[in-house]
Amino acid sequence: MSLQFNLNRPPIGDDEINKRKDFDQLVKSFKEQSLKKAQGDESWWKNKKIRYTAVIAGVTVVCTITYLSLFQNNNTKTQNKSHETVITPQKQSNKTSGFVSSPSPKLSTGYSKYTVNAAQGGKINHPSSTKISIPKNALVNKVGKQLVGEVTIEYKEMHDLGDVILNGIPMQYDSAGKAYCLETAGMFDIRAYQNGEQVFIKPGEEIKVELASIKTQDKFNQYFLDTVKRNWVYLKRDDLAKVYPAQQADPKTSSAKSESLKREIDIIIPGKIDSVQKNYARTIAFLPKPSEPLKPEKSTGKRPEFVIDADTKDFPELAAYENTVFEVGTENNNYSKELHEITWSDVQLLPGPNKGKNYILQLSYRGQTQKLVVYPVLKGADYKKAEAIYDTKFQTYLSLLETRQAKEKQLMKELQLKQQQYLSDQKRKQEELDKEQLRLKIELQQNQSRQMLAGFNGTAEQNKVNRIFSIAQFGIYNSDCPHPVPSSNSIRPVFIVQGKGNLIIPERVYLIDYVSQTVMNYNGFTNPLSIPMDDDKNYAFCVFRSGKVFFCDQTQVKTSRLANSREFKVKALPDNLEHPADFKKFLQL
Amino acid sequence: MSFNPIYHHTEAQLEEELRWIEAAKLNPEAFRPLYEKYYKAIFSYLYQRMSSKDTAFDTTSQVFLKALTNLKTYEFRGVPFSSWLYRIAHNEMVQVFRKQKEQRVVNADINDLKFICEENKEVFFEEYIPYLKKIIGKLKEKELQLVEMRYFEKRPFKEIAEILNISEINAKVRMYRIIEKLKVSIRKINV
Repeated sequence: MSLQFNLNRPPIGDDEINKRKDFDQLVKSFKEQSLKKAQGDESWWKNKKIRYTAVIAGVTVVCTITYLSLFQNNNTKTQNKSHETVITPQKQSNKTSGFVSSPSPKLSTGYSKYTVNAAQGGKINHPSSTKISIPKNALVNKVGKQLVGEVTIEYKEMHDLGDVILNGIPMQYDSAGKAYCLETAGMFDIRAYQNGEQVFIKPGEEIKVELASIKTQDKFNQYFLDTVKRNWVYLKRDDLAKVYPAQQADPKTSSAKSESLKREIDIIIPGKIDSVQKNYARTIAFLPKPSEPLKPEKSTGKRPEFVIDADTKDFPELAAYENTVFEVGTENNNYSKELHEITWSDVQLLPGPNKGKNYILQLSYRGQTQKLVVYPVLKGADYKKAEAIYDTKFQTYLSLLETRQAKEKQLMKELQLKQQQYLSDQKRKQEELDKEQLRLKIELQQNQSRQMLAGFNGTAEQNKVNRIFSIAQFGIYNSDCPHPVPSSNSIRPVFIVQGKGNLIIPERVYLIDYVSQTVMNYNGFTNPLSIPMDDDKNYAFCVFRSGKVFFCDQTQVKTSRLANSREFKVKALPDNLEHPADFKKFLQL
Repeated sequence: MSFNPIYHHTEAQLEEELRWIEAAKLNPEAFRPLYEKYYKAIFSYLYQRMSSKDTAFDTTSQVFLKALTNLKTYEFRGVPFSSWLYRIAHNEMVQVFRKQKEQRVVNADINDLKFICEENKEVFFEEYIPYLKKIIGKLKEKELQLVEMRYFEKRPFKEIAEILNISEINAKVRMYRIIEKLKVSIRKINV
């Protein structure tokens, strides 16, 4: 590609640039392009083979469906005659839809699965001490037909704010147009399947769920989450019962050994590597550095010269040879013979563009100044004498340089050897740490599982109650106390990663209120994202973006709010969080 | 080096820009504020490197069309949206050079050349201009890009680094090497 060089090309004016702007045309082109692309995607249909195959496949499917539906109708008719318990289809749904979706599926609580005989009913004892009672013949399929055989019950519980966040449960509650946020005393999600098909509760029947709860107050109501209307539905005042025993667990996340190894790997060894490198760099820098002697230049005899008594303090290199004169360089277009005829009032020698090789000779007289690029040269015998001096000096310089290079090489070799030793030591310690961390991880997971299954181990017996639900449809139920959402002070938060300074636009934002024990969730892409906050409450933000979790603790939130700032510094939680308990620990829950 | 208000953003501006982007991902009409904000900057970038004004305008349109088409793939990485646009602009420009056999142009001001000499601690004489043109013409494309952005467009290293998708230190190191190379060539003019 050839290159064209333009000097001082006139710029294009703003008016012309603005005139050429055409956003509507851009959108039009974009739409046309999208349309063309879509048509391109359909081009496979033009392939005859694919078209015929699709038509044949379609006909086959239609025939099969027709045949099967006829066959099933006959079957249903026969069965209707033999069973009198056929009922009308229910309008309930136990699909939670996108309204309830976990911001971090890997951390969300999984469902426990139980098998119950639909005809005989059964009792389920969940590890948290919750009891589920299913009456006999209480389950039906989607067309309302009573079920026989085994049915899988899927069940999970959520007890605190961490569970609420990780399971993506919306806690906003609209009651007659007034916004509330619900404080939970315990929540559960129950659903049932038979051969992969959804199962429903027979109208008139109820499943009893005695939900174990660590909150003992009597201020809670029961709610059902209507995922179609996207709101909680008030059921009744809560019904309290019975106390449960507690169990013990002692999870450990690190050991003295792992801490010591981490310190060695992250601080001590890198410090040693850094220190040894600095020491050697210093030693190398202090090695005697020979300076190359300046080569004498012979006068051409054809260029005009100036004889100047230059100050060797300013230019020590000029002291090497005697009787140096200054030859005017060919690049001086301003030189004329007359310059030699003027008696200059001031003559100065300044460093030239090519340091050590040339100089600027500044000649001044009555406000007139001339600058010439001059070269130091020697004539005849002086040059020969200088050449001999230079040869001797240059030989000395070379031998000094060689000694220095050899010493430098030796020091570098020593440094590399020491660094390798430290690195292999670091590697060995890392392997040891990996083993220790794996051992701790296994121990921790075992402890956490034990803790989760045992249910609320840290809580004393007298602080545990049962909240009794009688449910007529599967879904999410909650024992809640509504708190009003602040209606006045709203802020538009901006989240910045602590240390890195990166701004993040979150997918989900959770505002945790530690005073009323509530959590509000917001779609981070809402524009503008406006979050109501009270002045007197302790809030924290939990933010999710691209599978990563960020947290802005109470102190940070308070600091920003006191400074009247809408910027909140968030800290990224480690990527390796695998257990809900880890997450809750970080959120101080 | 000058301060480019279009390029430099406060956190709040970055946030606002990101909201425009997220909205434009759902609705192309919402791309308008980004188009208005960056049209001139992208055109100037292209015109600085192209001989024909019309080709520069056409390429600018292509850049924005491509940006809108690929907006879904855009990921925020802590730098202004313009860095992404500049990279598209550069790729589009290279394609135009290849397809249309358009000539690569370097536009400079005489003061820019003087500035190069001063940065290299060399005396500038107007007679040097043809030599300097020749020296700059001999630079590799990547080196030329850096010289153009630093000396002719007066961009700070941070911005150059973000446009070229390299670290600021890397940009400085590359520039330092180019300066060393230029020094050698400029000294040869003197000798």
